Amino acid sequence: MKKPLASIIGNTLKWILLISLLSLALLPLLWLLVSSLRTNLELQTDPFGWPQKFQWVNYANALAMASLPRLLLNSVVVAVVTVVLNSLVTSMGSFILAREHFKGRDILYTILTAGVLVPVISFMVPYFSMITRSGLYNTLLALILVYTAVNIPVSIFLVTAFMKSIPKELEEAAIMDGCGFFKRFSMIILPLSRSGIVTAATFCFIYSWNEFVMAMLLTSSIESRTIQLGIKFFSSQFITDYSSMYAAVIITIIPSILGYVFLHDKIIGGLTTGGVKG
Amino acid sequence: MMKKSRLIAVLLLLCLLFPLGAQGQAESGQQKEIELRWASIWVGNDSKAPAVEALVEEFNTKNAGKIKVVIEPQPDYNAYEQKVRTSLAAGQAPADIFTIKFNPTTATFYQSNLLMDFQGKLDDAWKGTFDAGSLEQSTVDGMLKSLPMETAILPIWYNMDAMKSVGVNAMPATEQQMFSAFDKLKAAGIAPTSQMTGDTNAWTSMIWFSHFAVSLGGPNVWDKPFTDPAFVEAANLIKRMIQEYSTADAVGLGAGGSGGHFLAGRTAVFSNGPWYAGRADLAATPFFDSIKIGGLPAVGEYEDIMISRLQANICAASSKDADKEQAIVDFLKFLTSPSSIAKIAETSGAMFAIKTDYRPVNNLQKQFYDANEAASTTAFDLEAALGAEVTLEFAQQLGALALDRISAEEFCALVDRKIER
Repeated sequence: MKKPLASIIGNTLKWILLISLLSLALLPLLWLLVSSLRTNLELQTDPFGWPQKFQWVNYANALAMASLPRLLLNSVVVAVVTVVLNSLVTSMGSFILAREHFKGRDILYTILTAGVLVPVISFMVPYFSMITRSGLYNTLLALILVYTAVNIPVSIFLVTAFMKSIPKELEEAAIMDGCGFFKRFSMIILPLSRSGIVTAATFCFIYSWNEFVMAMLLTSSIESRTIQLGIKFFSSQFITDYSSMYAAVIITIIPSILGYVFLHDKIIGGLTTGGVKG
Repeated sequence: MMKKSRLIAVLLLLCLLFPLGAQGQAESGQQKEIELRWASIWVGNDSKAPAVEALVEEFNTKNAGKIKVVIEPQPDYNAYEQKVRTSLAAGQAPADIFTIKFNPTTATFYQSNLLMDFQGKLDDAWKGTFDAGSLEQSTVDGMLKSLPMETAILPIWYNMDAMKSVGVNAMPATEQQMFSAFDKLKAAGIAPTSQMTGDTNAWTSMIWFSHFAVSLGGPNVWDKPFTDPAFVEAANLIKRMIQEYSTADAVGLGAGGSGGHFLAGRTAVFSNGPWYAGRADLAATPFFDSIKIGGLPAVGEYEDIMISRLQANICAASSKDADKEQAIVDFLKFLTSPSSIAKIAETSGAMFAIKTDYRPVNNLQKQFYDANEAASTTAFDLEAALGAEVTLEFAQQLGALALDRISAEEFCALVDRKIER
């Protein structure tokens, strides 16, 4: 049976559009990967060329310069603990905001989520004062606490929307079976909100992994700095070792990509549920 | 379920205590010796980093048990300047010693009582080691709250192989010779100059503009309103450079691209500071040995003025602890001693505000010292004189000027609005 011409044209256009969008998303990454294997002179004289010889040494430079393995470990600790703390706080907060009825609930929700609109840079002086006065300057804990706090508005927004979408009847049935306040949260709502929490956690992880300004502000030594600061070690005031820096960038984006590869179904599921039903 | 919850809670607590423990160890490890934290921008890929690290190590060894200097690396200058501003606003010095680029923005740091005033600390012998002009430029309202360290001149670079290929055998000495040489290069299919309007300061074009403005309005031109005829004329000249004597991609191009054109031999004339002379990729070019450094021929009544800047100054935190203040002074005396400066200059090719007998072996780097000495006087570049915000506006409007969207007068008026008086 022949397909109608309109369907063939439609399919072709759809594939052209999809491939174009895919190229738009992947070409910069591909360029980055190729550039990380070239020399600086090649990059400066012909930015879009192919390496004459693959410069694997750029990756060795990237790892040796700026104590990259240590910074990588610090980033992992900061991002993972931040995600755990943020998920813990926001899942409990969202449960109250989504499932409990009390006076001022909407105002509280608005206040908490309004933080999304405030630029983080405006918190620099208060955060710096609080962290230094509490003796946490130049520690990983300073970054963990700040990142956890900064991500609360977005996480509350996502998780609350998700929790609101869970049918009321499930909770009512649990109450009939004798579930109290804590069990309703931990055994009913929390497991059912997994996709929403994973979505919020993913955003939190990506933010914590990529954040630069606060890391620069609140730390001063290799022992407590994160990978994003390490990347900056490849550029001095006027000269940048682009090829080694690109190699370092490739190394740093691998965890984010892996995280997305393993969790993308939950992220998309969480986003669509929160968006449509919230 | 409860067991799992408890396990998670214990793990979380451990995660939280781990970094706290690390902090505690660091604090308990402190001894009686005075520890000075130096927030340094000469780290990572910076050519001065190895020599500076070695000097700090040498100082620490000499003063073992008494003073210990710890470098806190600051790899990104813009973010670091923000950090300095934030910490001063929060009522704390960013470190015991810290490096800044001296400009109108950082000059406002002088208003803070958290910074040490070196006026009372500089004895005649120490003062005598500094270049007097640099000390004067670092003095604000009678206060010397930062010591000049690194300086730089920003001359014009000529690829003489390219120039000779079109029959020009010497650096142009007059405006007429310059345009004649550029016309010959253009006719031969070589873009004469590397211009750019991208990045936050349109770096190479900003240098050209500074040469034009200073030649037209004198070394104190930056004190005049930006609507002064000298700036309007300089704007017309830089527009001509971009439109007629540069590569086609100059509008929007960044410093990497501008330098890349020169490295690839696509342009014959370039502008940059001494730090560019030590690059391995520049040394690898076939025309490396033919590069000549000089000023721009005078386009106005002022001649032989070299564009320069204070590249980095050193500040220190004031302290009620006299021993700590003395330790800071001891370290800075060591760091700014001619022998220490010669060591840093030797490995980096950088220029300093401290007088030394050092002369680079590298011919290109040596030419910078010669050009500096040959100049009758020096004047700041636009960024050093008017600050980052004005320079950002300059860069943003330069593209519009080059594309004929605004006139030179409009361009100057727009930049003028950003100058705080």
